[in-house]
Amino acid sequence: MESESDGRKPTAPRKPAAPRKPAATKKPAVVKKPTTPRKPAPRQRGAVPPRPTLSPAPPREVVLRVTGLVKRFEDTTAVAGIDLEILAGSFFGIVGPNGAGKTTTLSMITGLLRPDSGTIEVHGADVWSDPVRAKRKLGVLPDRLRLFDRLTGAQLLYYSGILHGLDPTTVRTRSADLAAAFGLQDALDRLVTDYSAGMTKKLALAASMIHSPRLLVLDEPFESVDPVSSANIIDILQKYVAAGGTVVISSHTMNLIQRVCDSVAVIVNGAVLAQGTMDDVRAGKSLEERFVELAGGRKAAEGMEWLHSFSD
Amino acid sequence: MVAQFLRLKLTLFANSFRRSPWQVIGLILSITYGAATAVFVVGGLLALRFFDVELAGSAVVMLGAVVFLGFTLLPLTLGIDDTLDPRRFALFGIPTSRLAANLAIAALVSVPAAVIVAIALGQIATWSRGALPTLVSIGSAVLIVATAVLSARITTSVASFLLATRRARDVSGIAGIVLLVGLAPVVILLAGVDWNRYGLTVLASVAEVVIWTPLGAAWGAPATAALGDGQAAGAQLAIAVGWVGILWLVWRALVGRMLTTPQRQAHAKSYAGLGWFDVFPRTPTGAIAARSLTYWFRDSRYNTSLLVIPLIPVFMVIALVIGGLPLQQLALLPVPVMCLFLGWAVHNDVAFDNTAIWLHLSTSTLGRADRWGRAVPVLVVGVPLVLIGSFVSAWIFGDLAVVASLIGVSTCILFSGLGLSSVMSAMFPYPAVRPGDSPFAQPQGTGSPAGPIQAISFFTIVLLALPALVAGAMGLIYSPLWHFVALGYGVVVGLVVLLVGLSWGGRVYDRRTSELLAFAMRN
Repeated sequence: MESESDGRKPTAPRKPAAPRKPAATKKPAVVKKPTTPRKPAPRQRGAVPPRPTLSPAPPREVVLRVTGLVKRFEDTTAVAGIDLEILAGSFFGIVGPNGAGKTTTLSMITGLLRPDSGTIEVHGADVWSDPVRAKRKLGVLPDRLRLFDRLTGAQLLYYSGILHGLDPTTVRTRSADLAAAFGLQDALDRLVTDYSAGMTKKLALAASMIHSPRLLVLDEPFESVDPVSSANIIDILQKYVAAGGTVVISSHTMNLIQRVCDSVAVIVNGAVLAQGTMDDVRAGKSLEERFVELAGGRKAAEGMEWLHSFSD
Repeated sequence: MVAQFLRLKLTLFANSFRRSPWQVIGLILSITYGAATAVFVVGGLLALRFFDVELAGSAVVMLGAVVFLGFTLLPLTLGIDDTLDPRRFALFGIPTSRLAANLAIAALVSVPAAVIVAIALGQIATWSRGALPTLVSIGSAVLIVATAVLSARITTSVASFLLATRRARDVSGIAGIVLLVGLAPVVILLAGVDWNRYGLTVLASVAEVVIWTPLGAAWGAPATAALGDGQAAGAQLAIAVGWVGILWLVWRALVGRMLTTPQRQAHAKSYAGLGWFDVFPRTPTGAIAARSLTYWFRDSRYNTSLLVIPLIPVFMVIALVIGGLPLQQLALLPVPVMCLFLGWAVHNDVAFDNTAIWLHLSTSTLGRADRWGRAVPVLVVGVPLVLIGSFVSAWIFGDLAVVASLIGVSTCILFSGLGLSSVMSAMFPYPAVRPGDSPFAQPQGTGSPAGPIQAISFFTIVLLALPALVAGAMGLIYSPLWHFVALGYGVVVGLVVLLVGLSWGGRVYDRRTSELLAFAMRN
């Protein structure tokens, strides 16, 4: 792999560690603020009242701060020192090629996978040393992890709500609301194991929101979800963001990320290659073009001529 | 290609020993069952060599018909996990006839096939009384093996084809177990009948008809030849050959059909309301208990345990009765044995959740809630079992004084088993069958080895209950007062181990939750 120092080669102006304090993540922050003008001002005023210790000056508080995250699996380094700062009220996309370490990173952020080093703070609470407080603020949709699928949809929502410490009445009303919002009403009484992949995803998504967390971390939320449902989900998420919530999603559907996210980080080989507002990272191109460029460009498809002479 | 298929089948067979304890126990049972059947039947066939032709003929025909029936019907209930399902080879583009032939040949590598080969060879021995019968019986042997294997292949595929829904899969294993248990007494009864004296005439007249059907033709042809009726023997062989041909055509058509038919869609059942979640307290502990209990009834991995556990003492009692022990004393056996397996059954409970355990992690569920929640279903089933079962056993035994001992021993076994399991499942999970998976998809074992963990948890339970057992035995032999020693020891030690186990297990769980998830992700 690459070492941490040269890890962030192409996008030269990225040195997030140094400036740190003033509106940290967004790189030429001053310039870039205006690109997302509608959101910051009204939002953080209404929805984020207490604003603890962290950031006194900047307009938006940091809801997720990741520093120096490293994870090794035997002889491969899956995540090689990732730093992220995500502001409250942002719709943050994490993109990267297959095997770039997106899921590993998100698993560590959500407290499901223990990092080898580095810290993760969710709204001031460390995920690994103060898990109870941190996880209350955190809604999680993991990728490729099972659900308790011998429960019915209703039972699973109820189970998640109760384990999150909600009282039964709240769980019931919220379950009903979520089921309506995600179009799951007809499926609630069936076993989750009999659901289609998309339905399962929607149910898991609903379960991740039941405790009204401050931050939603969703790993591939649109995978195998039909276009109507994903439009629906995007709608729900955008309203949540407008109300001051923060969403972090990973995907390799560039168009979708470009459309819905206001900030983005490109992760390749376990390191952040570019990070900032969508317009910064895109630098005038489409996110897809920029991404292919950052991720090392296209491989010329040579040496597979046999594929073009069909066998029968 | 045949060699490849055979090698695949052999590998699969070897790998089947690396599964979960219940499956390995099941496999060993089935091999023992198969070996016992083979020895029993082949022994009979060898003995029939020395009986006159008519008697031996009817016996072999009837026996053969039963064997064929077994090969045809048993897979309907047992053969659902078809490791060589034709559909698995759909994407390789093998011509249908070749695939059908290869699969049929590969099916020869299996316990039932080994049994039928042994039986087919045995019947050659029965008819080794002259050139013609021997020759005919060699032909018959080939036909017998072909008929049995093809019949089994066809019904296995039909079963997995038609019963491919999740629910059918969940139920069929249970049906198979029940059938096996139903068969055991029949086998014992049949073994006890004095064939020399009774039913011979009935047998002969039934055999006369069966010999002309596909069920009996291959078995009867050598007998007919031994009687000197070469023409009739030829006709019977022709029937047998024709039947094999028909089976082959059916099998080939079935393979062709299966390769081009999509899976049947399950009709999902609807469950109104929250079920057990409405019954238990609305706390994390209550929710986990409700979830766990729901799984005991809904997940085939759990309810197989529920079904096997009462059967183990049944088998033990049958075996011991045959061994000559009086039924009265054996009445003391079932309750403690069931408690033993009940407490032990949950020693790998966390691994059963597989990666679904992430939900507990991301809600920072306390170990205490998790441990207690998982223990509740066992207690819900186990405590009434101990109380009611002890009284029933004592009543059958004929001395109510033993109730104290029975309750003591059983409580000790159940509670300390549960306490130990609470620690073991958090500390040493080992790979389990994945939720809803067929055994074919069984993960290769990584991490802690299953065998030692199973053995350690099992024998520690026995060791802890040993003093109660000894006290109970003293009660039977010396003075009934000892029964109360057993009761006192059992309840106190059981409770202490249970409480210590639950709280220790809870602490281990709290410390290791993310490791437990990491473990589940590796498997």
